[in-house]
Amino acid sequence: MAVQLLKERYASEVGTVVLGATKEQGGTRSVSLTVGGEAALPFQHYEGSIPNRPIIAIEVTDVEPNWPEPLKEALGDVIKDPVAWAKKCVDEWGADAIYVKLDGADPDGANRTPEECAKTVKDILAAVGVPLIVVGCGDVEKDHEVMVKVAEETAGEKLLMGVAEQENYKSLVAACLGNGHSVIARSPLDINICKQLNILISEMNMPTDRIVIDPMIAGLGYGIEYGYSIMERGRMGALQGDKMLAMPMICTVGFEAWRAKEAWASEADFPGWGAQKDRGPAWEAMTAAALLQAGANILCMRHPQAVKAVKKNIEQLMETK
Amino acid sequence: MKKYSVVFIPDNLKIEVDAGTTLLEAAQQAGIHVKSTCGGKGTCGKCTVKVLNGVVSGGQGNIPQRLREQGFILACTAVVESDIEVEIPMEFRLHEHQVLLDDNVENEGLLAEGKLDILGDYPLDPLAQKFYVELSPPNLMENASDYSRLITELKKHVPAKWLNISNDVLKTLPDILRAGDWKVTVTVAFYEGGGEIVRITPGKDDFPAYGIAVDAGTTTVVVALIDLSTGKVLAKQGTYNRQADYGDDVISRIIYADEFKGLEKLQKVAIDTVNDLLDKVFEEYHVSIEEIPVMVVAGNTTMTHLFLGINPKYIRLEPYIPSANHYPVVKAKEIGLKINPQGLVFNLPSVASYVGGDIVSGALVAELDKKDEITLFIDIGTNGEMVLGNKDWLMCCACSAGPAFEGGGISFGMRAMPGAIERVYIDKNTYEVKYKTIGDKAPMGICGSGLIDCLAKLREAGIIDRSGKIQDVDTPRIRKGDDGPEYILAFAQESGINKDIVITESDIKNLIRAKGAIFAGVRIMLSMADLPIEAIDKILIAGGFGNYLNVPDAIRIGLLPDLPQDKFDFIGNSSLKGAHLALLSREALGFADNLGRSMTYLELSIGNAFMDEYVSALFLPHTDLSLFPSVTE
Repeated sequence: MAVQLLKERYASEVGTVVLGATKEQGGTRSVSLTVGGEAALPFQHYEGSIPNRPIIAIEVTDVEPNWPEPLKEALGDVIKDPVAWAKKCVDEWGADAIYVKLDGADPDGANRTPEECAKTVKDILAAVGVPLIVVGCGDVEKDHEVMVKVAEETAGEKLLMGVAEQENYKSLVAACLGNGHSVIARSPLDINICKQLNILISEMNMPTDRIVIDPMIAGLGYGIEYGYSIMERGRMGALQGDKMLAMPMICTVGFEAWRAKEAWASEADFPGWGAQKDRGPAWEAMTAAALLQAGANILCMRHPQAVKAVKKNIEQLMETK
Repeated sequence: MKKYSVVFIPDNLKIEVDAGTTLLEAAQQAGIHVKSTCGGKGTCGKCTVKVLNGVVSGGQGNIPQRLREQGFILACTAVVESDIEVEIPMEFRLHEHQVLLDDNVENEGLLAEGKLDILGDYPLDPLAQKFYVELSPPNLMENASDYSRLITELKKHVPAKWLNISNDVLKTLPDILRAGDWKVTVTVAFYEGGGEIVRITPGKDDFPAYGIAVDAGTTTVVVALIDLSTGKVLAKQGTYNRQADYGDDVISRIIYADEFKGLEKLQKVAIDTVNDLLDKVFEEYHVSIEEIPVMVVAGNTTMTHLFLGINPKYIRLEPYIPSANHYPVVKAKEIGLKINPQGLVFNLPSVASYVGGDIVSGALVAELDKKDEITLFIDIGTNGEMVLGNKDWLMCCACSAGPAFEGGGISFGMRAMPGAIERVYIDKNTYEVKYKTIGDKAPMGICGSGLIDCLAKLREAGIIDRSGKIQDVDTPRIRKGDDGPEYILAFAQESGINKDIVITESDIKNLIRAKGAIFAGVRIMLSMADLPIEAIDKILIAGGFGNYLNVPDAIRIGLLPDLPQDKFDFIGNSSLKGAHLALLSREALGFADNLGRSMTYLELSIGNAFMDEYVSALFLPHTDLSLFPSVTE
């Protein structure tokens, strides 16, 4: 006798967000990407459609990053030049999108002007055809100036810009709203704040299909299960019809994974942990793999080898047979 | 021990205290009630005083910068080290407040306090009655004692299985019998099927027996004098519970009760609070204390423990067990109440640690146990108790909302009394304010109903966002205060206290927490009963937060569920009304016992469900906007 699979039917589905605008859509991208839209829990194809695969955005910083040596070695010299770096991400490593972090704006660092930051973003836009995700340096005051300038200078490109937080969301949302960009709404591992922020942002007349949730996650071994359960709750909420939790999710995988000691500690210090050149990307790839199962739609990653592994993982998970 | 003198300004009141006494204790000894919500821990920053002459040590703690610069210190941490003179500004004191009652304001769209038929279906059968008896005088042939002569005759008239007399009353008997020429009036108070002879007076006394109903709330106490023959309220007085000197909520009082002589002090100030109100009641309606044979008290479990001097310590500790839910009947003289010393004092029974006699009282008078329709009864007070059910089942819980809706923990919060802002209008374009105060006096603060209005109107005008944050809108009414941004409701020149009356962002957050707790309680009760919100036929709101309840605004801020207005009734101080009912009906008092036993108590501290609901309710109106369709339309 054939086994009858029990299938869950959900009342609703995850919303979609489009990244990047092509010429016809008013931008200069060669492709635009749609994320989200799944009508079932991650990769449960037999229960509902999963129309869009999760995408990988490779991280590029506008100034040379202070990242662990093995990671910098794998990336090579391009880390000194964000434009060349972005190009290599797309051409060689297969990035779906570029995640530009404007660390150079930091007043305690390079302290670049908003104009300089906007120029970097425009240069990258000119060099690659994929959509861009752009976030500030983390200094609230400075990011306000920088992101407004970037948003204005790139109007129509449909960037995904971040990050809006509960205490400070208005100026970024207004800048995105006026220039046709989308926004990342970040909440600190808290489903209620996540939802409150989405409500507050949508009440500024930002359409829900231009908001992406950053639930904040942790790396493997550093509390990833908290991020996992928050994301799972968000997805269950979305599938049960809660529109204010239904936005696609972005996860800063590279940032969290490479903070883990297991990713960067040297072989000399921990001979039993295995080869350092494999360990870091493995840690990053495993972090990404877990978050894919929690419902991540956009993975921001760093190491080419990790990207390669996760791309393969996504491909397999998206197979419906 | 060395003694120092302390002079309080502006009262010019001088007292002697032991060395080592704190200024807060000294003030209490002098009968000056200083605000102190933390119970003397130096954390609330309310008990600020200024030393004019002399030396104190300590005095540090959480003092607002502005006051510290003006030389203010904290009374609770300052120890007297010499003869001193201190100033306690009037604004830092707890004032005696008259609680406004039965002054219904007629307003369209607002729910004024409904008149409850106190007796309902219960027969009038009061807890005390006067009986006039004529005895045959004794002679040499018929030589029964005075007492048996009285009892024999009384038994013909008094509906009681047995009668008791105390030695104190017995001592008065022989002379009174003869003074009245064997005609006397006997006041009997009933309990447990029998009767206590409380008072004997010569001749025929045409005045009725009187009773006292008491609502012993955490924040306020109300006392009413009742004519037991007609059931009418003859006089009513309310004030702040003086235990507030020792902490705002029951938890800080329980902690204080555990300190040296703390329980004794808390009992004393509770009794003093009631006694002072009794003095005022007797001033308002002239009767002597001997004429009061009975008192019924409705208080929450902790208040009842403290009132009777029972240690409430274990209420606070897991697994949260009260010493008793049913309390013995005591004589007034045992606890020092100023009614007839032989008078009986009844405390209405509790259900559990955090659902007390005040809620049983409310459920009793609202007749929750007699209705077919499903009723939700919410007492919007410090503990935020609620009862759900009908004649077949009842469940209850307490969600510790805090005293915000009674004006506690709010910068300019106050009781519903003359001068309290009770309605607020804010112009959406100019952000200008119009308000109405109780008694149309110059505003002195804002009461619960005003706060509900205020929150809804601030949100409607876009001055605060859904999380309660004050927005950067262009109006001189928004400014930066000591505690962050604040909005000016009334400028100093129009106010009755010569100060700007403001609502601060932290006040708003407090209110959101209070309303969030109440709404979370409602949600948990419904989910436990597995009922949709629409299944509620009637919602009864009780509480002393104002003369009326603005239902649309209460829904707009997410305090009350989004149901049609005709499902709501506002019944005011139901705790007092239930005590009133118990005075008038022995059957009702007996029934209160059953009612207490028949309620299923939900302990909200078990599991995460309440916390989850609470956190998701910390938004205006709620993070789940689908629960408030009429608000989000």
